[in-house]
Amino acid sequence: MSEITGSQDYSALAEIDRLVHEPARLAVMALLYVVESTDFTFLVNQTGLSWGNLSAHLSKLEEAGYLDVEKSFKGRRPNTNLRLTTAGRSAFDEYRRRLKQVLDDLPE
Amino acid sequence: MSAVLNLKEIERRAFRSTYQDGLWDIYFGAIVMAMAAFMYRPEDGYSLANIILAIVVIAVAGGLLLVGKMLITLPRMGQVRFGPARKRKARTLAIILGLVVLVQAGIVGLTALGWLSPHVGAQVSGFLAGRSLERMTVAALGSLFVGPPLILIAYFVDFPRGYYIAVMMSLAVFLMILLNQPIYAVIIGGLVFLPGLVLFVRFLKRYPLPQEGVPHE
Repeated sequence: MSEITGSQDYSALAEIDRLVHEPARLAVMALLYVVESTDFTFLVNQTGLSWGNLSAHLSKLEEAGYLDVEKSFKGRRPNTNLRLTTAGRSAFDEYRRRLKQVLDDLPE
Repeated sequence: MSAVLNLKEIERRAFRSTYQDGLWDIYFGAIVMAMAAFMYRPEDGYSLANIILAIVVIAVAGGLLLVGKMLITLPRMGQVRFGPARKRKARTLAIILGLVVLVQAGIVGLTALGWLSPHVGAQVSGFLAGRSLERMTVAALGSLFVGPPLILIAYFVDFPRGYYIAVMMSLAVFLMILLNQPIYAVIIGGLVFLPGLVLFVRFLKRYPLPQEGVPHE
């Protein structure tokens, strides 16, 4: 069995927010980060996720307090407006910072 | 990972996706063709009635563009509000376009004053020495009125096809004034309109209407 030698510190890797780190949720959060708000249809089109898959991921983000979901109707059609909360933006900033640190610390 | 977190690129791609319906291309192409058709009056010059008709056509085309965006594009693409950076760019564009319009109005005003003043008119005509040079100058000025503002708009709204449209519209105006034949402007308008139509059809196929009953959590 090989041993990890040297003084690499992988604690930053362990502290990565796994909620954000999941690829589909990362794509969703990255898109929500660069816009003020968007609706469900736009997210589906931009991320390429299926409706059900996206809905599941958005639920997780909303439970964590990262997402603000506003439901309304446009005529007869339901409309869901989505935006990152302050906590969501902070979490995304923190994720980027930690990930950059992990990648910078990786040995050659 | 760097591609996923290239936030500038993500934002740009999202922003540019709002133009993939081709409606703006259809709008500008239709305007060029309509102006060529309605404003072409080789015997009398450009009559007031024709100018009014052209304005009405532009207004109708603008209305159709808005309706198209609301009823066709939005339900398929979804809706998005972009961040403060885009709003700042839009404000900057509005200020610059306002200045451009002021400059153009000044040029038109000075030109009109020059026409009204026989002394100035004689000096200008002498300088331009001949109808063909005068017509070419007017044609060049006309295309400069159209081209640079459209290029500015294309830059500030991040609309790459806008550069092509700006060049084509400038060329259409130039040829329409220089040659006094509407056919060139109609053809050029078609070269803008038709690709827009292709984009529109492709857009409809790529983005069908969301079905009733799809979960909208």
